[in-house]
Amino acid sequence: MDPLTWTGGLGAFLNPALAITAALCGIVLVVQTGLRMGSAAVTLQSNPDGTLQGRGGVLGALDTALIYLVWALVALLLAYIVVPLVMPYGSAGILGEITRRLLPVWIALVATFALSIRFKRRLGLYGKLFDSTVGMIGFVLVMFWVYVAAFVGVFDMIVTHDYLSQVSGLKNALPGVMVPDGTQGVIPHYLLGGDNLARDIFSRVMAGSVFVIAIAPLATIFAFMVGITLGLPAGYYGGKFDTALSFAANLILAFPVILLFYLLVTPEIVQTGIPSYMAAFLFAFPLIFIGVLINTRYYTQPAKRNAIILPVLGILGWLYLSAINASGTVIDFLPAWADLFDISVLVVFVSVVFVNAPTVFRIVRGLTLDLRTRDYVAAAQTRGEGAWYIMLWEILPNARGPLIVDFCLRIGYTTILLGTLGFFGLGLSSESPDWGTTINEGRKLLLIYIHPALPPAMALLSLVLGLNLLADGLREESLKD
Amino acid sequence: MDCARKASRTDTVPGQTRDLTHSDEVPGQARDGTTERTKHLANPTTAEPILEIDRLSISFFTRLREIPAVMDFSATIMPGEALGLVGESGCGKSTVALGVMQDLGTNGRIVGGSIKFKGEEMNTMSPARLREIRGSKIAMIYQEPMASLNPAMKIGKQLMEVPLIHDKVNEKEAYARALEVVTDVKLPDPKRILNSYPHQLSGGQQQRIVIAMALMSKPSLLILDEPTTALDVTVEAAVVQLVKDLGRKYGTSMLFISHNLGLVLETCDRICVMYSGEAVERGSIGDVFDDMQHPYTQALFRSIPLPGADKNDRPLVAIPGNFPLPHERPKGCNFGPRCDYFQAGRCDQDMIPMVRVAGDDRHQTRCLRNHEIDWNAPVTAAATKIKHVPGQVVLKMENLKKYYEVAANALFGGDRKVVKANETLSFEAREGETLAIVGESGCGKSTFAKLLMGLETATDGQILLDNISIGDVPIEKRSTKNVADIQMVFQNPFDTLNPSMSVGRQIIRALEIFGIGKNDTERRARMLELLDLVKLPRAFADRMPRQLSGGQKQRVGIARAFAGDARIVVADEPVSALDVSVQAAVTDLLMDIQREHNTTLLFISHDLSIVRYLADRVMVMYLGHVVELGTTDQVFSPPYHPYTEALLSAVPIADTRVTKKHIVLEGEIPSAMNPPPGCPFQTRCGWKSQVPGDLCDTQVPPVRLLAPGHQVKCHLDDATLAAMEPVIQIAAE
Repeated sequence: MDPLTWTGGLGAFLNPALAITAALCGIVLVVQTGLRMGSAAVTLQSNPDGTLQGRGGVLGALDTALIYLVWALVALLLAYIVVPLVMPYGSAGILGEITRRLLPVWIALVATFALSIRFKRRLGLYGKLFDSTVGMIGFVLVMFWVYVAAFVGVFDMIVTHDYLSQVSGLKNALPGVMVPDGTQGVIPHYLLGGDNLARDIFSRVMAGSVFVIAIAPLATIFAFMVGITLGLPAGYYGGKFDTALSFAANLILAFPVILLFYLLVTPEIVQTGIPSYMAAFLFAFPLIFIGVLINTRYYTQPAKRNAIILPVLGILGWLYLSAINASGTVIDFLPAWADLFDISVLVVFVSVVFVNAPTVFRIVRGLTLDLRTRDYVAAAQTRGEGAWYIMLWEILPNARGPLIVDFCLRIGYTTILLGTLGFFGLGLSSESPDWGTTINEGRKLLLIYIHPALPPAMALLSLVLGLNLLADGLREESLKD
Repeated sequence: MDCARKASRTDTVPGQTRDLTHSDEVPGQARDGTTERTKHLANPTTAEPILEIDRLSISFFTRLREIPAVMDFSATIMPGEALGLVGESGCGKSTVALGVMQDLGTNGRIVGGSIKFKGEEMNTMSPARLREIRGSKIAMIYQEPMASLNPAMKIGKQLMEVPLIHDKVNEKEAYARALEVVTDVKLPDPKRILNSYPHQLSGGQQQRIVIAMALMSKPSLLILDEPTTALDVTVEAAVVQLVKDLGRKYGTSMLFISHNLGLVLETCDRICVMYSGEAVERGSIGDVFDDMQHPYTQALFRSIPLPGADKNDRPLVAIPGNFPLPHERPKGCNFGPRCDYFQAGRCDQDMIPMVRVAGDDRHQTRCLRNHEIDWNAPVTAAATKIKHVPGQVVLKMENLKKYYEVAANALFGGDRKVVKANETLSFEAREGETLAIVGESGCGKSTFAKLLMGLETATDGQILLDNISIGDVPIEKRSTKNVADIQMVFQNPFDTLNPSMSVGRQIIRALEIFGIGKNDTERRARMLELLDLVKLPRAFADRMPRQLSGGQKQRVGIARAFAGDARIVVADEPVSALDVSVQAAVTDLLMDIQREHNTTLLFISHDLSIVRYLADRVMVMYLGHVVELGTTDQVFSPPYHPYTEALLSAVPIADTRVTKKHIVLEGEIPSAMNPPPGCPFQTRCGWKSQVPGDLCDTQVPPVRLLAPGHQVKCHLDDATLAAMEPVIQIAAE
């Protein structure tokens, strides 16, 4: 078999068609801009018969033309994804093979969108997202990587080769290269070429998504729990407590993040156990948060409260102990059978939570300062509710809008942060397939071979872009009604 | 020059308060201000209307549907004329104003009709031409003065912008003009005002600046969108007086949007009543107020407490049903489903046209049956309620004081200042009684409520509930019974319920806290009973607060307050944020529950009409002091405390038969941080000259008993007090 070209047989028709459509789009856009400068601004006219008149003439025609061209462009791009699915192996080029490998992801995405749009009026804010184009684009990008991570991590689909195995002769091999007989995985090509150590770049990028998708949202949730649990009382009580906490938050924010990471992952620091103690401290917040949440809600009915709070705290407590307990560190007291899991990237996790929590703290504190003056808070006070009930059940639910938006943005920051950590090789093994590490390795020969560094960089970019667009869409839609 | 103008203005003011609004005459003629008005007009000889709105329709486009906000609306404003636009919230009155300004936002469109400004069609105007007109020919004044001023710019600069941009004059000239208008709006020390930032001024002063800015370029049309709603009554009275005077002086036509019929009566020549996007009746003030020809106008007047209404003998008549949502409007007459005169098969068929009322001046109504209805038929008397006799004393205040210490400098302490929020409050409230607490913002009403609820503890003095002192017990230490006994109904219906919790859940939570019901089933049953009590359908239990209207939310708030069988309910302006027709229903509901449960109601309000209607006793507060306390009759008839007198005169009353004495309080309410020495009211008191010596300046007046149960804090001697004339007089019919 021959090496694959980028578009294979597909390109014969689609490439020129795409080029022509794109060029036409550009021309129309330029002409339109030129014409618009000379003409009067558009105002709507109401005709005597009660109808409205918009723009007419040449400008109106160009408007219509542009809409058709953009749709044609979208259709062509879709064709690149759909057509290869029915073509035999190898005939649709590298792009064709990649879309074929991603078939489960496409199916999952189509299913998600079909269901969500069908029921969007019943789905609250999530449903409203499908009214915003920007939000939908963001959601596609994010869900693409979520599904990739799920199919790679859980079902071991999509990846074509073992992301650690090296094949001699394929060092820095170009995309579409043939794999020698006997070493091939699922398919006989390295779709995106080989890296510095002759490993399959496509498989590494796909496998790298698992790390980001598993760590980033989880770390962000922990940061939110910490930020909320401290931010609510700071905003609600104010005074010295607030001053002290705000000062501490500013102190952390003022410290250079990268330097902090370097410090935290230094073996000497790890030896002292500081990261482990920090984990013990930071991971306790979700426990406190959920415990207080349940208690304030049900404390008037002790029997019901106990029935709920004891099992929940029991399970969470066990998870907590397993999380902070790791053999070989300062916190190592659980017997081996009780220690459910070890977090291999504990240091990374702790650092990310530690630097994100102060920002969340400040947002929550600000929102609380505003919401605590509402009448329903006063109503709760006058019926003798406890302070924590008011904070968690009267104030927090009404701060959810900005918090959800910030959550999306913050996953993006965390993703970048994880990339940075990988790039500097902090807290991760040098073999890890995560995008930061892969970019760092590709960087070394960037002037000679660009293809090893580009795919992980594009992956990182598309995920973060998707998260930002998603946050934009959510913000926009949550303001409308 | 200044002096001369001032003199001429003051000459025209007295005597205009009432007679002006009887416009049997054509506006702009046969009136004392005529000559002054017309000479400012560009072309006084031709009677060309300033603004002519013809069959205007405006829609908003949401993602679900087109929502018609205004339909088939016509209005004409002649030079120098003031048109009042009245209706409940959501009826489209503000949309009309925005339509005139051609500022409907991204999803609002004018879908039909025309708006002509001095004969020029505005719907097809270019943006450049619109910019030219806005601010110079048409000016608009909004409800929130602070939102209309740029907080980062000095007042002078903001005012100077208008002539700099529209008239292209130089800075010196612009400053001179700014100084002139600030003097015109009667602000003290104009130069200092020009040099200050908006936040350094009080709400009333800010609104005056906004008015000054609107008048800077001598507009032909001034649109006022609820300009005084955010202000206190006495400040409102002063601002309204000012707008009236200036309108006359500059010959400006006005479109005055308000929900307050009394205010429109005082300011406007003509009125247009809107309901659900349509004008239902329009005509001159006299015609519409005295000879109304539309059932909605009539229902509106019957639902506001006019002097003479009484909660037991002549209760208010609330309009049944709810305001229709814009996309759920009925066929035919929009008011049909709520109308007493509704005739199936006629009123619910086609769109109802506006018809002229014969004999009156440009008086039109949108009612098919206006010839058939006997408009003068007396109100069918609702069942007379039995007057409740107050029981024994349940709540007693003894020399209650609350001082706050405020550090001058947040970081380093510095001099500590004492804010005296409540000063020696003493009174008692009986079981089943309604005690109204009246006063403007900053008078200490809210501090008092906080003390009573236990959110703050008293500095000195006692609060006795059933003879047990609770004044220094914070709410966390009070027993559940105590907490459940004293509950509160809040002012803002949109804020009183937690937006992310269902209605039923919020009431059940109160039941849980008060320890009512053994299990969830019992509590749910009790919650449904409470919904019945406040006359809400049981299905509302599962609704979210945003699905409820303002009045419905307020009912839920009342249900929540009564969850623990409260014996004392503090109602903090419970209806002031509601529409008039809803106000009546909520007030009556509150009264009914009170009668049934024998509750003591502490009704905090600044609206004296409603206080007069429902209170048994009234307590007037000013700067933390109780200045007058007595039964409703004692407080509302002379002798008055000078502040009570001013308050009474400031309340606009929507009744053409009422003659009021006109007292405009000068100046602002002093800050509680720095109260005047002696009598707290001395800085604004009109009677101060009647007191010999400097008594008012140096000594806090003692509490004097004028009649059994009627106490006043004033230095005026008995003879002067006895000689006071009543503020409100109803002309004999």
